[in-house]
Amino acid sequence: MIVWKEMARAKVRFGLLIGAIALLVFLILFQQALRDGLITSFTGAIEHQTAPVLVYSTDGRRNLQSSSITPELAAQVRAVDGAAAVGRIGQSTLSVRAGGSITAAAVIGYERRDLGAPQDLVAGRYPAAEGEGVANETDASEGFGLGKVVRIAPGGYPIRIVGQSRDTNLQASPTVFVRYGSWEQAVLAANPDARKPLPNALGLRPAAGVSPDELVARVNRLNPELEALTRHDAATKAPGVAQVSRSFLVIFLLYGLVVPLVIGLFFLIVTLQKARTLTLLRAIGARSRTLVWALIVQVLVVVGLGIAIGTLLYLPVSFLRVGSIPLQFDTTAVVGWGLGILALGVASSWFSARRVLRIEPAEALSGGGLGA
Amino acid sequence: MRLALREMRRQPGRFATAVALLTLIAMLLMLLGGLLDGLIQRSTGAIRAQPADLVVFSAASEHSFLRSRISPEIRARVAAVPGVTRVGGIGVSQLAARVPGNGPRDLVDVALFGYEEAPSGLPSPPAAGRAYADRVFEDQGVKKGDTLSLGPARTPVRVIGFVEDVSYSGAGTLWASPQTWRDVQDANRPGSSVGAGVFQALVVRTSGDASAVARRIDRATGGATVTVSRADAADAIGGVRQQRSVFNQIIGVTLVIAIVVVALFFALLTVERIGLYGMLKAIGARSRTLFGGVVVQAVVVALMAATIGSGFALLLDRTLPPGTIPYQLLPNRLIVSSIALVLAAVVGSAFSLRRVLRVDPASAIGRSS
Repeated sequence: MIVWKEMARAKVRFGLLIGAIALLVFLILFQQALRDGLITSFTGAIEHQTAPVLVYSTDGRRNLQSSSITPELAAQVRAVDGAAAVGRIGQSTLSVRAGGSITAAAVIGYERRDLGAPQDLVAGRYPAAEGEGVANETDASEGFGLGKVVRIAPGGYPIRIVGQSRDTNLQASPTVFVRYGSWEQAVLAANPDARKPLPNALGLRPAAGVSPDELVARVNRLNPELEALTRHDAATKAPGVAQVSRSFLVIFLLYGLVVPLVIGLFFLIVTLQKARTLTLLRAIGARSRTLVWALIVQVLVVVGLGIAIGTLLYLPVSFLRVGSIPLQFDTTAVVGWGLGILALGVASSWFSARRVLRIEPAEALSGGGLGA
Repeated sequence: MRLALREMRRQPGRFATAVALLTLIAMLLMLLGGLLDGLIQRSTGAIRAQPADLVVFSAASEHSFLRSRISPEIRARVAAVPGVTRVGGIGVSQLAARVPGNGPRDLVDVALFGYEEAPSGLPSPPAAGRAYADRVFEDQGVKKGDTLSLGPARTPVRVIGFVEDVSYSGAGTLWASPQTWRDVQDANRPGSSVGAGVFQALVVRTSGDASAVARRIDRATGGATVTVSRADAADAIGGVRQQRSVFNQIIGVTLVIAIVVVALFFALLTVERIGLYGMLKAIGARSRTLFGGVVVQAVVVALMAATIGSGFALLLDRTLPPGTIPYQLLPNRLIVSSIALVLAAVVGSAFSLRRVLRVDPASAIGRSS
């Protein structure tokens, strides 16, 4: 009862702390969404394509565009024991005229739909002819909507968007999946000096009884100039992904430091300020346990409200784009961070609780308190 | 002020927590700043070294070397623009290189530039098949006289010397003649082959107002080009803007943390000293003097933290093995970080102002007695 009365009387003080926590929660959830969006935008096209195994040239350093598979290497891979099917995959980042402006787009060409196309479509259909493509649904606002025609610049080679997929961007650019021949034509259109491009990678499907990991090991034993990776490894071990994750880990550690610091210091100050009151309460019979429990209830209410308001602030932002990166509302992240911050908040009230437990009721007679 | 400093001398333990926390923050600030500077330097060295006021790209390239093509006809039009004093072609191939003695999968990232106008630290272009190498390759086992095999075609390029601070997009660079660059590109990237006389971009020296010359160039080519300053061309390298933005954001959050830490620490200290302030006010001390003391203490705490943090940053710079993390300490970064920390401390301590102003000498005396 006394907990609520105190909070109602010091609305501004507690309101400020709730506001600060809400801001921190908003910032954490926003950064989390930014990190997830960045990684998905960089490698979503690899993670969500159909080939269970991808083979790069060692020269590619796990970067699809930098890899280049010569006919000799391709022949070796096609002959490997345990591969049920092999398909060429090509990728180039090209300038594209879309929605009235020029933008860089990743164009991915696949020879077989089961080896390099998006796993699922959310609208439309897969390309059935040259000059047709599937774009990521979030790029519709950039001129890559269903039914739109984008043109390679220069050259003007047209690609009509006939399908939409989800989370299939590459290199944080609008991404279009086309048939292999369309990719070759797009490359030749963009550069009149170009010769027929080599495939950047090969997509492999393991034969029955062979796991993707086994197939990867077999291909890697073939030739040191080849580097095979499972779909998941190709996405998570792509250049830049680890650096992005590490950078954001530093940010989250900072937040992990500031959240308990802010909450802990605030409640310590509040405890010191009401030292005389707490001493008097102890003198008239209030038990230490009751006072500590009141403190914890205050922490839970303040942090809980902060988390709720922060999540509400984050909700509309999670549907926006930051530059070329689409954000998404991630319930798991909200629940995880909410519980984490609540735990940090309660843990940080330990200093205040210790002060409360050290109150000496006899000091009420001399007007003392917690050292205030 | 003397009272504030005397308190710090007599009770150093009371301020140790704040110094320790702010030192951690100072270290973090300088580490983040050093990482940002290292990343930017490693990405933009090749462009910063260009002997140019302007860089000309093709219009649809969005300032990307890899998507830009400048034909000999466009180059002739650029050269004829009033105010253009020198024009040089430039092109780059980003590949992996095999270093003699390294394992078959132990490759290094390479950006091979073909140039006409010598960048700073380089002579005129070497003979075909030879190149000057970025000094960073020395840490990867490359020696003068080594022949590197570039790309899947294993195009041989012999290293004939080294040059400093010319990295590009995080990779070490090789500097060769335009013909060597074309041969490498043609052999390894058939989809990005370039014809005779074609370059990816032009570097342009000007006389007079460079931005006016840039506008004249784009008009003269009928909009086929986009001409930008050398600094803008460096900024347009993939990832540079994003890295700067993300790191500056982290640095900003770190400074906010510093403000919050100082604010809460001095709020706590002020609460503990209410009685003392009341006594001082009762004997004639003004609120301004008392608050000035709080600010002085905050500044001293921040200066101590900045000094220890700078020592850490210098130590890291000296002891970090090359090639581990892209950390580079610039004197400006130390100065700016220290000033920012002191300002954050002043702002943070200002949150105690209201509390100091509200101290009532009469009640303070009553409480003490």
